[in-house]
Amino acid sequence: MKSSQPVVILIGAPNSGKTTLFNHLSGKNFKTVNYPGSTIEYHTSGFQSQFNIDAILLDSPGIISVIPNSPDEEVTINSLFEHPSFGKPDLIITTADASQLSRHLLLVKQLIECGFKVVVAITMNDILKDKSLAIDAEALGKLLTVRAVKINAKTGEGISELLEAVKSSLQEPAKEIKKEVCERWNDSENLIKTFSEIEEIENKVLRPLNPSQEQLEKANKELSSLILQEDENKILPESKTLKIDNFLLHPFWGLVIFFFVMALTFASIFWLALPLMNLVDYVFAFLNHAVIRELGHTWFSDFIAFGVIDGVGAVSIFVPQIIILFLILGFLEDTGYLARGAMLIDKPLSKIGLNGRSFVPMLSGFACAVPAILAARTIPNRRERLLTIFVIPLMSCSARLPVYVLLLSFLTPPDYYWLAGLGLAAIYVISILSSLLIAAIIKRFNNKIIKAKDDSSFILELPTYKFPKLSIVFHNAMISAKAYLSRAGLVILSISVILWFLTYFPDYNPNIPNINKASEEYFQLANSERIENSFAAMIGKVIEPVMKPLGMDWRIGLSLVPTFAAREVFVSSLALIFKVTAKDNQLQVSLISAMRNAKIAGSNEPLFTASKVVGLIVFFIFALQCMSTIAVSKQETGGWRIPLLQLFIYSTLAYALAFITIHGLQLFGIP
Amino acid sequence: MRTAANLSNGEKARITSVDLRHPSARRILEIGFTPGQEIELLNKSFFNDPLAFAVRGTIIAIRKDEAKSIIVE
Repeated sequence: MKSSQPVVILIGAPNSGKTTLFNHLSGKNFKTVNYPGSTIEYHTSGFQSQFNIDAILLDSPGIISVIPNSPDEEVTINSLFEHPSFGKPDLIITTADASQLSRHLLLVKQLIECGFKVVVAITMNDILKDKSLAIDAEALGKLLTVRAVKINAKTGEGISELLEAVKSSLQEPAKEIKKEVCERWNDSENLIKTFSEIEEIENKVLRPLNPSQEQLEKANKELSSLILQEDENKILPESKTLKIDNFLLHPFWGLVIFFFVMALTFASIFWLALPLMNLVDYVFAFLNHAVIRELGHTWFSDFIAFGVIDGVGAVSIFVPQIIILFLILGFLEDTGYLARGAMLIDKPLSKIGLNGRSFVPMLSGFACAVPAILAARTIPNRRERLLTIFVIPLMSCSARLPVYVLLLSFLTPPDYYWLAGLGLAAIYVISILSSLLIAAIIKRFNNKIIKAKDDSSFILELPTYKFPKLSIVFHNAMISAKAYLSRAGLVILSISVILWFLTYFPDYNPNIPNINKASEEYFQLANSERIENSFAAMIGKVIEPVMKPLGMDWRIGLSLVPTFAAREVFVSSLALIFKVTAKDNQLQVSLISAMRNAKIAGSNEPLFTASKVVGLIVFFIFALQCMSTIAVSKQETGGWRIPLLQLFIYSTLAYALAFITIHGLQLFGIP
Repeated sequence: MRTAANLSNGEKARITSVDLRHPSARRILEIGFTPGQEIELLNKSFFNDPLAFAVRGTIIAIRKDEAKSIIVE
């Protein structure tokens, strides 16, 4: 389908200034760097009205050639030739960094030879200027037989010339676009030939700037240095980046700094997110109690308070952590440091069958496995990509944090807050180590689990260091959080509501004789009666035999059932089930004290003991309890094989290790 | 035969050819390591692998194994 408006696509290498130009032309901020955290989707918009061009403007992830090297690039290139919703583009604006012109001209030349109408926007002219060089855009355009314009999207310099070039090019008749032409560059000899043509062009358009008085004096002193420097300038990036790299990529200190940055990232997630999470918790607890206080105990008020409000609360509680992690990741990415991190960690990761490029997807896994699995698309090697996807669910995602916080605060005395913090850190370390261990084990089993040929590679551009534009980092973190909420939010809320129904019906109005129907006692008894006869109890009793070996009864089993859809529901389902069974006369009984008082059904033994709570933590570290993760894993691995293996292996592991933990601890005399 | 993997920090060399039998040869060429280009080894990672090279005005990190396919003068 093709709309009546012309379609203009923005294409360029990563870090070629494409995003900045797109923001300028569209008047909006969008993220398009094709590394982790970003999606493969096209951003569409129009030109700003003041530019007076009636056309659809599309942005695309960065590519360096028309021959794809990863699934991510394949999608980008396919939709360039035949866009799923816009068809063939009428015009391509391609960005090329002036300071590395010969590299970026490869794509430009390929696009022109494939038959696209192309306008070249030359960016980063200021960096070239620092090297006393400049590009003759007019000559470049003539040699390439297209229009080429020098721009600076930050200051708006050259934009009006670019728009003129776009308008004139749109008027010209379209040529035939031939995808077959691409095949040519599959052949290395042809690639080398194209590059030598490009070098010829570069030599003709790269001009030394008129040297200033100062430079002339310097040149006089050092005689031939002006010419010598020119050659060196062509291969080296800007000197500021080189100086920083000598420090950040130092063989020893580089690694120390790397681990420090990572530790700081995680520490800030806890210390920044925890108070916010407590605030969210407090607000929803307040709302819950307010509803019951105002409306009294009816099925409707119970539904609102325990079904809806607690459900929304379960969704909202880990939003702070997601936003903070995406903010930090976005910031590190935009400075250029994440690419260095990938380089530093490539060797150790390659030993266990992963890749330096697995690093950022795995890191994103600490926020949420769904965007993390999507980010694994940037890994060109299929085996490494599948293995990365396989271990991502072990990364302790933010949905598990409320569960850990609850269980840890049960374990630690209230005055020893730091002890819980230490426990949390230990959980994260265990989750990282176990993911590395499992990757190593799977690598041993080789073809049995992950079937793909092995042609591992690590080729990554290290962009120049920049101070990120904070508004863009913030905007992107918000987009990630929103995408996350819309994907997971509805699922979690629905489960919460379904669970409420299961615990409330069919015996929603139990008959309890001889007690005043308005008294608090009545409600407690009615609640116990109701849940004991509920659908939930029936399901719970069916799975009780599975929970028995762990020393748990149907109530914990029942709380765990919905967590296989989304783990964060554990806290609210536990609250739902225990609030109504706790034999406590206070209405505002906290979940912790409800847990402390809970007894195994039909006995006087406490239901929650230290060993069992530790066992539950172990269970949550390993179990794959997330419908969205399974769905995305199926989508990204192209079948049910990997997600079902993940579900089976991680669930078995979770149960077995929880069993060992509980009985092991009890052997050592821990209750 | 000297390859890019033999360079020491800060050493420059001119590429004479790229071993086209290497599985990543096309990508290595595409990213700018073509015969005739001058490159400079900028940094080595902790385990001397991967290596960061300056080429055509930018920095590219590649594995030692890939650097071995880049033959220099």
